[in-house]
Amino acid sequence: MIVKEWCMYCGECAGVCPRNLIEVREISLNFNKEECKDCRICVKACPVQALEKGDD
Amino acid sequence: MIKMIETDILVIGAGPAGSTAAKHAAMAGSSVILMDKKSEIGSPKRCAEGVSKEGLKKLEIEPSERWVTKELSGVRMVSPNGTAVNLTEDKVKLPEAGYILERKVFDKYMAMDAGRAGAKIMIKTLATGMKREDDQMVVTAERMGEEFQIKAKIVIAADGPESRVGRWAGLRTSLKPKDMESCAQFEMAGVEMEEPDCIEFHFGSVSPGGYAWIFPKGDDIANVGLGVLTTMTDKSAYEHLLEFVENNPATKNAQAVELNIGGDPVGGLLKKKVTDNVLVTGDAASMVNPLTGGGIISGMLGGRIAGQVAAQAVMEGDYSEKGLGIYEELCERELGKSFEKYLKAKDYLLSLSDEELDQIAEVFKDSDFETINTAEMVRKLVKISPKALLKLGKLF
Ligand SMILES: Cc1cc2nc3c(=O)[nH]c(=O)nc-3n(C[C@H](O)[C@H](O)[C@H](O)COP(=O)(O)OP(=O)(O)OC[C@H]3O[C@@H](n4cnc5c(N)ncnc54)[C@H](O)[C@@H]3O)c2cc1C
Ligand code: SF4
Ligand code: SF4
Repeated sequence: MIVKEWCMYCGECAGVCPRNLIEVREISLNFNKEECKDCRICVKACPVQALEKGDD
Repeated sequence: MIKMIETDILVIGAGPAGSTAAKHAAMAGSSVILMDKKSEIGSPKRCAEGVSKEGLKKLEIEPSERWVTKELSGVRMVSPNGTAVNLTEDKVKLPEAGYILERKVFDKYMAMDAGRAGAKIMIKTLATGMKREDDQMVVTAERMGEEFQIKAKIVIAADGPESRVGRWAGLRTSLKPKDMESCAQFEMAGVEMEEPDCIEFHFGSVSPGGYAWIFPKGDDIANVGLGVLTTMTDKSAYEHLLEFVENNPATKNAQAVELNIGGDPVGGLLKKKVTDNVLVTGDAASMVNPLTGGGIISGMLGGRIAGQVAAQAVMEGDYSEKGLGIYEELCERELGKSFEKYLKAKDYLLSLSDEELDQIAEVFKDSDFETINTAEMVRKLVKISPKALLKLGKLF
């Protein structure tokens, strides 16, 4: 997952991730890539479109 | 060896719900740790900052000029074609009138109150995981590069809309996109409101699945924002906000000094909020009015119950799901019943087209209201809209 520079660490993406894979730190995001099912629910939820699915 | 701290109760998240839980647990005699990952509690805000006077009274919190920015005297509701229904104090009795807060200050004050009651506050401390060990919970945490563990008899998960902590304990706190409003807001100066003492709501396609708001903060300052359901639009909340600000007469000349974003869980009270050693409260348990999206007061009411129930359980030495079970009952009584009604009302509101909203506003704009509470509104609606009767029946 590519996190854009304008992410504001609001945590909405973490709240909707059905697999609880997103850790929102004060100024960084961690994804558990191995478990990600690529459902893109987090991408759609972001109020400022700060997430983009990468090629990994 | 990793450092281990022991406590009766660990509250994760120092928002309004967590701080209230920590305060009441400490007041009842438990040893309490209140942790938050933020370096400044309350900042950045994710909120339009409106609360009812009634709510603060219920929580026995005296309004303070340090964190109240504006006393409100009414509500203005605007339909898609601009028809406004003004409900101001000179026209109607306003039992639900309220204040606009400065959340950055308010949240800090609520945490300070918890500290004064005896809770130990840990800022810039992130909970990273949790497991059950010998009938207690062990939470791993990080602070300024140091990793340590906290062993607690009871963990109160007050971690807001992210709601990860409850899930570590096996509770289903994650939200479906249809139950989470995606919100964006500017705090603006130079706002020219028609009724500068009223909170203002804008309904319809301006904000699919939610509504837009202008909440005055005194002088020409206001929180201007909106919430959308991402299941009902392809644009982001931010894009909708830019359009709203540009097209609204009150905001088109205003300037933003702050951008706030975040999720608002509007799906109704989480069904299962308790498991062995763990209680979930506030936004993490969807303690948010599903119709208005307001969750400060309801989260604090839930937090108070959580703190009191947890402290009682510590005294009795029973932290099992059964021992903590009374929490569900008390939350249901305090919040659950009214939320059911508001869910139905929201469902109805979201079913209305822009034209229907305009028609309703036309009728409401000349109505006499004796009171302005939500129940009274819905009762009135049922009278003029047959669909309302179908969707809402005799609920209100
Ligand atoms: C744009 C917007 C406008 C709103 N407007 C209003 C309004 O006008 N009136 C109203 O009543 N409600 C409003 N709400 C809802 C209101 O903001 C929330 O209901 C309220 O903040 C919930 O309080 P809380 O304590 O449950 O959670 P929060 O205030 O979200 O606090 C949770 C805390 O937990 C911390 N945390 C999270 N994870 C961890 C972790 N792993 N470790 C440590 N700390 C952690 C966070 O840093 C945060 O401080 C609005 C919401 C939004 C998004
Ligand atoms: S929802 Fe968007 S802005 Fe918020 S934390 Fe996730 S990626 Fe960042
Ligand atoms: S794509 Fe789906 S599974 Fe992967 S992080 Fe996002 S919400 Fe979670």
